[in-house]
Amino acid sequence: MDHVASLLLGLGNGGVFAALALALVITYRASGVVNFATGAQALYVAYTYAGLRRGELLVPIPGLPKRVDLGSELGFTLALVLSLVIAAALGALLYVLVFRPLRNAPPLAKAVASLGVLVVLQGVLAIRQGTLTVSVAAIFPTDRWELGSALVLADRFYLAVTIVGLALVLAAGFRFTRFGLVTRATAESPIGAYVSGVSPDRVALLNWMLSGVIAGLAGILIAPISPLTPVTYTLYVVPALAAAVVGRFQYLVPIVAAGIAIGMLQSEALTLAGRYDWLPQTGAFELVPLIVILVALVVVGAGMPVRGGLVRQRLGHAPRPRSLLLPTLLGAGVGLLALLATDGTWRGAVIGSFIAAVIGLSLVVVTGYAGQVSLAQLALAGTAAFTLSGLTEGWGVPFPWAPLLAALVATAIGVVVGLPALRLRGLTLGVVTLALAYAIEAAWFRNTDIVSSDGARVTPPELFGWDLGIGAGRAFPRIEFGLLCLGVLVAVAVGIAALRRSALGSAMLAVRANERSAAAVGVNVVRVKVLSFAIASFIAGLGGSLLAYRRGVVTFDSFTAIGGLALLSTAYLAGVTSVWGGINAGILASSGIVFIALDRWVDVGEWFQVISGVLLIATLIAHPEGIASGGHQIADRLARWRARRRATEPAVERPAVATATDRERPAVAAAERPVAAPAAEGPALHVDHLTVRYGGVVAVNAVSLRVEPGRIVGLIGPNGAGKTSVIDAITGFAPASGTIELAGQVIGALAPHARVRAGLGRTFQQLELYDDLSVEENVSVAAFGGRQADRRAAVARALENVGIAALGDRPAGELSQGERQLVSIARACVAEPSVLLLDEPAAGLDTQESGRLGERIRAIAASRTAVLLVDHDVALVLQVCDDVYVLDFGAVIAEGPPETIRANRAVADAYLGAMHDAEAVSA
Amino acid sequence: MSARLECRELTGGRGATVVFRDLELDVQAGTVLALLGPNGAGKSTLLLTLAGLLPARAGNVAIDGARLRNGNAVAASRAGVVLVPDNRSLFTTLSVEENLDVARRRNSPAPRELLDVFPALEKRWHLAAGALSGGEQQMLAMARALIQQPKVLLVDEMSMGLAPLVVETLFDTVRHIASDHGAAIVLVEQHVSLALGVADEAAVLNRGTVVLRGAADELRHDGQRIERAYFGDVDPAPAGSPG
Repeated sequence: MDHVASLLLGLGNGGVFAALALALVITYRASGVVNFATGAQALYVAYTYAGLRRGELLVPIPGLPKRVDLGSELGFTLALVLSLVIAAALGALLYVLVFRPLRNAPPLAKAVASLGVLVVLQGVLAIRQGTLTVSVAAIFPTDRWELGSALVLADRFYLAVTIVGLALVLAAGFRFTRFGLVTRATAESPIGAYVSGVSPDRVALLNWMLSGVIAGLAGILIAPISPLTPVTYTLYVVPALAAAVVGRFQYLVPIVAAGIAIGMLQSEALTLAGRYDWLPQTGAFELVPLIVILVALVVVGAGMPVRGGLVRQRLGHAPRPRSLLLPTLLGAGVGLLALLATDGTWRGAVIGSFIAAVIGLSLVVVTGYAGQVSLAQLALAGTAAFTLSGLTEGWGVPFPWAPLLAALVATAIGVVVGLPALRLRGLTLGVVTLALAYAIEAAWFRNTDIVSSDGARVTPPELFGWDLGIGAGRAFPRIEFGLLCLGVLVAVAVGIAALRRSALGSAMLAVRANERSAAAVGVNVVRVKVLSFAIASFIAGLGGSLLAYRRGVVTFDSFTAIGGLALLSTAYLAGVTSVWGGINAGILASSGIVFIALDRWVDVGEWFQVISGVLLIATLIAHPEGIASGGHQIADRLARWRARRRATEPAVERPAVATATDRERPAVAAAERPVAAPAAEGPALHVDHLTVRYGGVVAVNAVSLRVEPGRIVGLIGPNGAGKTSVIDAITGFAPASGTIELAGQVIGALAPHARVRAGLGRTFQQLELYDDLSVEENVSVAAFGGRQADRRAAVARALENVGIAALGDRPAGELSQGERQLVSIARACVAEPSVLLLDEPAAGLDTQESGRLGERIRAIAASRTAVLLVDHDVALVLQVCDDVYVLDFGAVIAEGPPETIRANRAVADAYLGAMHDAEAVSA
Repeated sequence: MSARLECRELTGGRGATVVFRDLELDVQAGTVLALLGPNGAGKSTLLLTLAGLLPARAGNVAIDGARLRNGNAVAASRAGVVLVPDNRSLFTTLSVEENLDVARRRNSPAPRELLDVFPALEKRWHLAAGALSGGEQQMLAMARALIQQPKVLLVDEMSMGLAPLVVETLFDTVRHIASDHGAAIVLVEQHVSLALGVADEAAVLNRGTVVLRGAADELRHDGQRIERAYFGDVDPAPAGSPG
């Protein structure tokens, strides 16, 4: 019965988590913002309510008096209503000032902006209200009910019931009112809303107000039960996020159930930990949200729905470093000068920047390059720091080995942290890593069973008798330690720059850009994700070890989950997609140079935190991709300008194949065709009774086709005939029935990247190039196996074969449509596939370009590759193909050599409707 | 008097690429313009720009002589421009009735009145839009546009993936919307003959410019001109091919 009692005791917190989760989901659905500031909004309203009950109105604006005396204490109802009006106004203000300007920004930018809001609200309250706890009179009756031997506190029960009631009212409101209808519609399709004459902006504004009211209500209701302090309320957002993930950021009732369950289980976890010695004495409470999320992931198995939009959302440009030597020498020189020119606090700040930059660079790898949002990097640094203490003090492991081993421990944990990434993307992954960081912090760093209450000591580093420690007293901070940090930073920075130029780096950007097309060129997405977490964790571990050496005694407050949020914010703002951005992050970090400079030179006093939050938001609105994006643009412009000056002759494409003039081409084609068609050893690709269904629609209906080595087979048909579905099914991107044989081997059960490795190559109608990568890198992503020299030769050959060797260094995003088509073909060919599937390679090309394309396709087939060509350009298909299949409504309606197809009425009809009936009459 | 829809020197595109340039286009109230052209010619981009969903680079769009604010979808919608996008952008989790309810305005007819135009939706009334067949979804998308009582109706690739019989019914409806409701209709279509059958005028867009413009009747009987505009100098049709 005790268990029942402790479970019921958790109803209060559970109700609040549930309400905050509702608020989170409403803002997410209406505007795509994962609002980390929801708890802070609740806190603000709770303070306002507490003030009103005392007869004071809280004024947040600096310069004005802290509170206005209203003369008399307000009653419950009036105070409640007034506070909720203020809550709605706060929600509206946040949308209009912060999130509306960011409505087309990447989701990560929006989340980071909400962290800025969190910092501002928390800072304002700390200054205007003080950090003392405030108690509030009870709202619900505080009876105690005896339930058998268990004691139930009535107020907790009433609170939970209120929230459940609220959830039901909301669910009904969303179901039955016009506002609810329009909100559901907008959440599903903002474009649909626009074309229905509904303004998604207005819908979002109203939902932000509603969400503010719900968060505010949660704050008010919990205030009498859990006294008001800035930090606890803000952190309520972690369990609330866990509850929201359980309901997939969509379903209100499961979300409320999960919120309440988390509260109850936390309460029970505390009771159990008190009862059984063998259970962890701290951290059980914080582990609950994590466990609930992980269980839900296994059971529900999906992340949050992605909101559609016209603007393609991206993380930001990740430029390829142009050279390594000069920036390395320059950067190291500047770092050295900074160390030599400073002492005392300033040198401490320089060293602080070096260390923060190392940890920031770990985010560049995992988030900037591989696109996996990790909020656990600081916690991973912490695991290395605490491990280092054990290794040096406990086992006496000497200097270079101890931090390396500690970093390896962080790597192992990091790989585990990264496992959810195999099923999750984007911010859902961020939420899970946050819950992990929160759990690691509580169960390890704060756990007094493992870490003594005055911290974990670390032996100072020493190499061959040379003291590399930070020192103490007047010598603090010693330059030797600064040199050590600089050395590590330079090594890590160079390593990451080299990574960006390597095949693995290209594969990471490919995964970030588009997991689908990465798999289509043979990238093993799972391997790349795990490796990126491993590398990033190792780097974070190095940074954590340095931080441990700097402190001498490791304590939890250097590695909190909230600190991890701040790290991601700083890194994102500084430019998480490049090495320089990572170094910027170090300079901007709260232990770094800028912080100290501001602290010394600008006397903003207690407002520092608030001002930095406001600056964060303002900078994000001006540069949604981080401040480094401006620098990248300047660098690109410089490089282009230099390239223009160097190029004396215009960069004309050099055709690889001897070109006949356009007029002669058809004749040449006809003469060549018989030569390129010896089909002795059976088909390279054989598809039998291929059928693809999407829901109830049959997109491909029992299509059979074969392509012999060295031959070009065309697949034509009007829009929606199922051509792309055929290619998707063959390459494993669409579920299909029927058999697919590649040179006799049945490949129907293989994953897409495995089919590529078995000898398939494909292009996409939308090309799916990696715009941030150079042409050469785009192609080299697809070159697998063999030694690096072989791969490089293969890339050069592929570029040469399609005639774009001259474009190798240009970013793919800058090219013309025709050039981009050629890049995508080179990418599909570089692994020398036995079968090449081309999806609309002539789309967007003019007649001349498409003529040249035909020659290149024939050159590819001449090297014994079997080619399946899908295109709208009938002229091109009829010219280059040996055989043509015509598809309409998912079925083959004609098949044969081009001459037969050309003469086939059905084909013209399929394209132009019954056009030719009219023509036949008039002719 | 100015035409219902007027584009002057309209230039637009997506991202960094300009897709159409200096476009001049007039459509009178109560008439249907068939906008034809090969894939990638810029037809869909043009419609998105007219609906304010993409900003124009230069030039302007006017409805009954009143200029639209550039790149403002809400303003375009208030002025009576309604788009039926090629992917339909229906609310697939909402019922047929709810889809229509979302788009309803103060002076709109009741959703049920749309059944006069699209009787096939009657038996699907309470079903989620995602569960409808392709043809029914297209009817719903048209109904959702019609309930907004459009002055200018932009229809993108209505026939995509639909059976010929369904397509013909839909084209009849388009004709009715023009004649009965007086809307100016721009119909982007790949089914050339069907489109010419229903349209008053036709324009062929190729590589971002209008390469052919004329009365639909005349063009219907002059297939070669259309084919030349479509396929450039290569003619895939056997009949009358000059070689």
